[in-house]
Amino acid sequence: MKQLIELEINGRIYEIPVSPKDLLVDVVRKKVGLTGTKKGCGQGDCGACTVLLDGEPVLSCITLAIACQGKKITTIEGLVAEDGTLHPIQQSFVEHGAVQCGFCTPGMILSSKALLDKNQQPTELEIKRGIAGNICRCTGYKRIVEAIKAAGDTLASGEVK
Amino acid sequence: MYLNDFEYFAPQTSAEALSLAARLGSKAKILAGGTDLLIMMKEKILKPECLININDIQEFKTISYVPGQGAVIGAAVKISALEHDSLIKDKYFALHQAAGELGSAQVRAMATVGGNSCHASPAAETPPPLAALGARVVICSSAGEKEMPVEKFILGNRKTALGEGELLTKFILPEPAPRSASRYAYIGLRDAMEIDAVNMAVNLVLEEDCRTVKNLKLVMGSVSPVPLVAEKIPGILIGKELTDELLAQAAQAACDEAKPISDIRASAEYRREMVAVLTRRVLKQAFHAAAGLKEA
Repeated sequence: MKQLIELEINGRIYEIPVSPKDLLVDVVRKKVGLTGTKKGCGQGDCGACTVLLDGEPVLSCITLAIACQGKKITTIEGLVAEDGTLHPIQQSFVEHGAVQCGFCTPGMILSSKALLDKNQQPTELEIKRGIAGNICRCTGYKRIVEAIKAAGDTLASGEVK
Repeated sequence: MYLNDFEYFAPQTSAEALSLAARLGSKAKILAGGTDLLIMMKEKILKPECLININDIQEFKTISYVPGQGAVIGAAVKISALEHDSLIKDKYFALHQAAGELGSAQVRAMATVGGNSCHASPAAETPPPLAALGARVVICSSAGEKEMPVEKFILGNRKTALGEGELLTKFILPEPAPRSASRYAYIGLRDAMEIDAVNMAVNLVLEEDCRTVKNLKLVMGSVSPVPLVAEKIPGILIGKELTDELLAQAAQAACDEAKPISDIRASAEYRREMVAVLTRRVLKQAFHAAAGLKEA
């Protein structure tokens, strides 16, 4: 039985017909068409599907879309400014070579955002803990950690809005 | 990796949730964080006809504290909320530690303290500290409510004392005794997203001299189907000062009582050895903290 629900994604309201069993990752990708969110393991282990729900990082592959009504959902597409300027975290990932195949990147950046929103100058250990639920098979994490640290410094210095 | 069809309910009050639970009985599963439930549904281990989402019920989501009485933690309180709550950190440190070691940031933001006990995984992080801290669960149904200690609520691997139409609604934690401290420790194969091979929590109270053990409760996880309360350790340590010899005796007693199995994460022999290591570690740490000394 499909029913019409309202989801607020990246500040925009979408009216979407869903079944209770529809997962947030599938609704975001297939029904809304925002394919930046990736589907990896489907079991909540890899973190590729991470989105922010009211600012908290959650695994959209084990989240029911119907349970997200009334919450603010942020996907990777929601980080880019209207004029196309990358978010400081995205920019830092580019500058530090923290992206290789890119499949983990949207989830990794959203986990980083959740971390930096609470703590702009995390220690290396805090960064590693913050992204412990995001698996990257390419980079070895070193440049990702450096990128997050630099992004935090940028955000803290207020150079970029 | 798709879910079966089910009917979805999102009650807004506990009364509504209890009446749904009573009406739907075994057809329904409770959806809290979903980090275990939805995965079991994807794997077709569970195919509930209905899901009752309890995350909209405000009273299930709050942590409250009354000085002198203790804390009440709602069943749908997120693990991340436990991890970051300053009162929990201050008064119930072992629970704060265990919450911080559970899963990843994402899992902690989703999973709930009630779900962690109701899922009844022998390797779960929060039941051992809850049991060590003397927590009682409150179980409600449309017929009324009852209480029991956490270690009596978890009956086995994936088995709890919850009956049809019943909900775990909250945990009641007693006020910590003066000169007491709790500590949690675990052994896993790595830090990120691991499932504990052994975990352990202790709550230890000292006499006024800040040296003699007045009381303690040590609970082992992942070495038995249920959170295992160490039976002999209180008899070994109460009324005594902590010496290396007594620590060794306590560690041996814990090893003797542990009932580990060999599985994908560790052998029974390794787990038994680690029980000894963790017993000494948490006892020492809790002793130092309770005595107000700097931790060794």
